[in-house]
Amino acid sequence: MNKFHIKVILFIAPIILLSVPLDYGLSYLLRQSDLYPGELEVWNDIYNSNANCDIAIYGSSRAWVQIDPKIIADTLGGSAYNFGVDGHNFQLEYLRHLELLKHNKKPKTIIFSVDIFTLQKRKDLYQFEQFLPFMLWNKNIQKYTSNYEGFTSTDYWLPLIRYAGKTTALNNCLKILIKGKPAHKYRDHGYRPENSKWNEDLTAAKEKQEHYIVKFDTATIHLFEQFIGECKSQNISLILVYAPEYIEGQKYIGNRKEVLDTFKSLSEKYHLPFFDYTNDSICLDKNMFYNSMHLNQTGAERFSSVLAHDIKMNYVTRAEQHP
Amino acid sequence: MLFNTIDFAFFLPVVYILYWFVTKRNLNLQNILLLVASYFFYSCWDWRFLFLLMFSTLLDYYTGIKMCDAPNTKNKKFWLWLSVIINLGFLGVFKYYNFFADSFASALAQLGFKINPYTIQVILPVGISFYTFHGLSYVLDIYHNRIKAERNFVEYAVFVSFFPLLVAGPIERATHLLPQIKKPRQFDYAKSIDGLRQILWGLFKKIVIADNCAEYANQIFNNSADYNGSTLLLGALFFTFQIYGDFSGYSDIALGTARLLGIELLRNFAFPYFSRDIAEFWRRWHISLSSWFRDYLYVPLGGSRGSTWTRVRNTFIIFIVSGFWHGANWTFIVWGALNAIYFLPLLLTHRNRNNLEIVAQGRLLPNLKEVFMMSITFFLTVIAWVFFRANSLEHAFQYLAEMFSSSLFSAPKFTGMSRAVVLSVLIFLFMIIEWTGRENQYAIAHTGAKWKWPLRYAFYYAIIIAIFWFGGKEQQFIYFQF
Repeated sequence: MNKFHIKVILFIAPIILLSVPLDYGLSYLLRQSDLYPGELEVWNDIYNSNANCDIAIYGSSRAWVQIDPKIIADTLGGSAYNFGVDGHNFQLEYLRHLELLKHNKKPKTIIFSVDIFTLQKRKDLYQFEQFLPFMLWNKNIQKYTSNYEGFTSTDYWLPLIRYAGKTTALNNCLKILIKGKPAHKYRDHGYRPENSKWNEDLTAAKEKQEHYIVKFDTATIHLFEQFIGECKSQNISLILVYAPEYIEGQKYIGNRKEVLDTFKSLSEKYHLPFFDYTNDSICLDKNMFYNSMHLNQTGAERFSSVLAHDIKMNYVTRAEQHP
Repeated sequence: MLFNTIDFAFFLPVVYILYWFVTKRNLNLQNILLLVASYFFYSCWDWRFLFLLMFSTLLDYYTGIKMCDAPNTKNKKFWLWLSVIINLGFLGVFKYYNFFADSFASALAQLGFKINPYTIQVILPVGISFYTFHGLSYVLDIYHNRIKAERNFVEYAVFVSFFPLLVAGPIERATHLLPQIKKPRQFDYAKSIDGLRQILWGLFKKIVIADNCAEYANQIFNNSADYNGSTLLLGALFFTFQIYGDFSGYSDIALGTARLLGIELLRNFAFPYFSRDIAEFWRRWHISLSSWFRDYLYVPLGGSRGSTWTRVRNTFIIFIVSGFWHGANWTFIVWGALNAIYFLPLLLTHRNRNNLEIVAQGRLLPNLKEVFMMSITFFLTVIAWVFFRANSLEHAFQYLAEMFSSSLFSAPKFTGMSRAVVLSVLIFLFMIIEWTGRENQYAIAHTGAKWKWPLRYAFYYAIIIAIFWFGGKEQQFIYFQF
């Protein structure tokens, strides 16, 4: 019996002993990959404390493809970084906020790009591989990702387990090991404009269903209010921005007014500036968009300038006058 | 709790340590531990159905004793029928009620009567078909005086609910398993090593082969109208390897786990895809179920004795009932009937017991005739699996019609084709290992037995790395739904 147990221990021991260094190695390689469009770059900047900035831009893909931090910084002064998370709602945007504060100095101002997706909650953990290199023994990531379909509790606490069967991530690690890391970064300070022409996303969406109805998630709304409170208590100026949407896309959202009213009432309740561009002339110009929800590079640059100017004129200047 | 989860990786060592180190000196305590562990294992799925399992166990335990103590045959028959009716009644309610209600309504609708049958919304208790058959074999064996009733409840309950076999078999017999539960188990080094090796191979089959095949089989079967014939053929092939990897992988893990605890379970698979005819296939596929039906249905019906008509009837009955056992859907019934049709020519020409030994025994490669026979049998099996996997008969016929259309000769096209090529290489390697190990209990039972330990360990680590790297998206075991 002892012989059996010694053999089993000898067989398993290398796996256990190597699990931590292997985990570290895989995470190190994956952090350098271009697995998702720039998401890992932003996480790396956050965890390496390279994301210090005066103005932080938050939101979803409607933040990171539409708001140019350089234009914002040039107009408003200081430094800016775009922390937009692709495809996620507020819960994961909040996770990024928490990790930013944990590993970097707090920003003075947050420009929050809100949209129809902000206060919803999706079931799946979209692009879940982006969390793999950072999630071991990370309580924040566990708290905000474990209520999605994706990881099990052991994935957060046992080394290497979470990589099992994650073929896409593992193949990317192998690619980095063989070919080295990508020569160029995908995003610049978290921003990457999309230089594309109008695509058929809206037509495809309309074929699937006549109208899209936004379903609010109560827990997400509470978390959003908690976030507003935390910003106030930490003296971080919070600015809500509703970026332009192409006019045809606006009609596609069945309860769009309800969404806008929610953000308006939140801004009034907490005395937050709210810049609403849903009636801006950009919304009528199809050439400024690549789909109904996203501006292309031309549109993004124009919008960033308008936004920066408006913030300066209506908020910064006023704040300077009435400190 | 699934065998292929981290939960089981914690559960098994805990049970093992308590079994061999804490309760080893006391057989009763050891059996109580097995029972508690088994009930815990089952309740991890849904604790509410634990009561159903307990009731079924109590019922057969009690009726078994009553049959044994019966003063006359009439009384004995009463207790047998009571057990059979209640057991099949549960199975009928949970598994077949909706099917019969809907089929009855459809039949009436054909006659011009329209009714809305009352259907029940219940989930099927996992393993009910398996533990019900355990219990039935037990009471039938007592009735036929093959065994005496077990009077120790714990030992009987362990026989019914022993966790490695509880949810998907193998379907054990009291004559085989109960004596092992009743006597003290001795730790055996060679068997324990063998058990671990079989668990490893089972995990490879399930996680690497079955779960990856499932991804493509599901994609193609669920959207079959969108694909051409060659893609549908690939879908059918992926399902063929999925179901084998899934179920035989489960059985390997079950057998290996039991062996670690000093208990030998019945073999359930013996390389069925290397069969030279359908009769051989059915001697090698889900052996514990086939032999159950043979002993408790086919033989009592007269088996292969009697007139040609009787033999044909018995063959159809056993295959159709076997199909129906899998689920309440016409697809399973047709799958069973199709296998009966495959089997019939062999039976009528007395060639159903031609291929009793494993193919190409003692040789590295099969001869041309064997290759031809294996290919034909494999092809027939693939066709039958289409019925097994399809959502409805209409779906199966449409699938086959498109599969055998002219588009069969066009290039396959589906999402993830490059990954499917990697999977095909893995399946090819898997089948080579299966072929080289086909004379053993499971493919890698003796692989590397004569190698030096570093090479042997490297082989096992390579399997672990394959499981780690290629592990597909976690899928339920297919046979849990039966």
